[in-house]
Amino acid sequence: MKQFKLEIISPNAIVFEKEIDLVILPGSEGDFGILKDHMPFLTSLRVGIVYIYLEKKIIETFLVTGGIVEVSQNRCSLLTEEVINTNSVSSKSKTEESSNKDEINLKRLKEKALEKLYYT
Amino acid sequence: MPSLKDLRNRISSVRSTKKITSAMKMVAAAKLKRAQDNAEKTRPYARKMSEIVNSLVENNKSKEFKFSEKKTKISRNILLIVCSADRGLCGGFNGSIIKFSKKLSEKIINDGGQVSYIFVGKKAYQSLQRFCGESVLDFFSDIANPSIKFELASSIRDKILELFLNDSMDECHLIYTEFKSAISQTVQSLKLLPLNALDTSDNNNSSKSYDFEPSEEEILNEIIPKNIAIQIHTALLENLASEQGSRMTAMDNATRNANDMIDNLTLFYNRSRQALITKELIEIISGAEAV
Repeated sequence: MKQFKLEIISPNAIVFEKEIDLVILPGSEGDFGILKDHMPFLTSLRVGIVYIYLEKKIIETFLVTGGIVEVSQNRCSLLTEEVINTNSVSSKSKTEESSNKDEINLKRLKEKALEKLYYT
Repeated sequence: MPSLKDLRNRISSVRSTKKITSAMKMVAAAKLKRAQDNAEKTRPYARKMSEIVNSLVENNKSKEFKFSEKKTKISRNILLIVCSADRGLCGGFNGSIIKFSKKLSEKIINDGGQVSYIFVGKKAYQSLQRFCGESVLDFFSDIANPSIKFELASSIRDKILELFLNDSMDECHLIYTEFKSAISQTVQSLKLLPLNALDTSDNNNSSKSYDFEPSEEEILNEIIPKNIAIQIHTALLENLASEQGSRMTAMDNATRNANDMIDNLTLFYNRSRQALITKELIEIISGAEAV
């Protein structure tokens, strides 16, 4: 499969930057996937989970609370104010050395997400 | 000629001043590191955001949208957001911001416009208070304690959008200091509102025609406030880094000057001491000869 570049940028850091095969995003009008050679595209996101695929496997998932996605010339940029890598949170709680802050953050985000979903 | 006691006092006072300035330099250096990291982290986000907005506005040249220039209006109310530091002792940092804002507002007034201000940071507010009188809309201070919050930028954003949308303000500029390196910072003004396309007509072929979801207008209305908030936020972060950098260099210079001064004073002190001893000896010898 041909690959393209995805970058997830938050105000605090570049969270993710890699060549990938496919990304599934929670668009405000419904979920959508982006592959290589997608046409220039600009949309807003709702609360949801971003799935990133490489070689037919999910390599990372992120929880986002909204944001903007821009696709142009085989570059997909996701700009979001709040983003959490769900892998890191679940693996941490498995090993029971849970960093409380992350969990609280995740909980808060989930509550926010549910609230938003409830109202829309 | 000062007495030896005076000289000794002088030397010790310069020494203690040097201690203070070198301690301030250390503190500024530590804070600079942190502020610089923060400023650099936000940069990619802000850059990407303004890129997207610029290309959107470029595509929208002909149409009039919510945040575009109002062509019907003639009189101009201009809002300046002036970012400065809360504290002094940082070289020419506050001075150059104040000078820049004063110049800009005088230019606007000469062109027949009206100026109002929002101040972030005490120093510019204190010295421009008399100059701008009643037109100060808001004033924030102590923003960087313990760290600059995004909420501050959002609240400023909400304020200026409200002013812009109910027509009490036509243009908004942000004055801040761009951080280039620890020794070089430049005062800059950034136009936040209204948005109009940059005059880069020659590279029109590179402008992309996007597919929009849900619609171009909705996206614009969502992305522009976001962009303004992040631009204000980065400006505040850059400003803080510049302040610390400027303070570090200023304090470094002060320490070096204090060193020079101590050297000179010590030399002078030793010379006068020697002169005094010689004088006394001559007196004794000539006294003995006379007997």
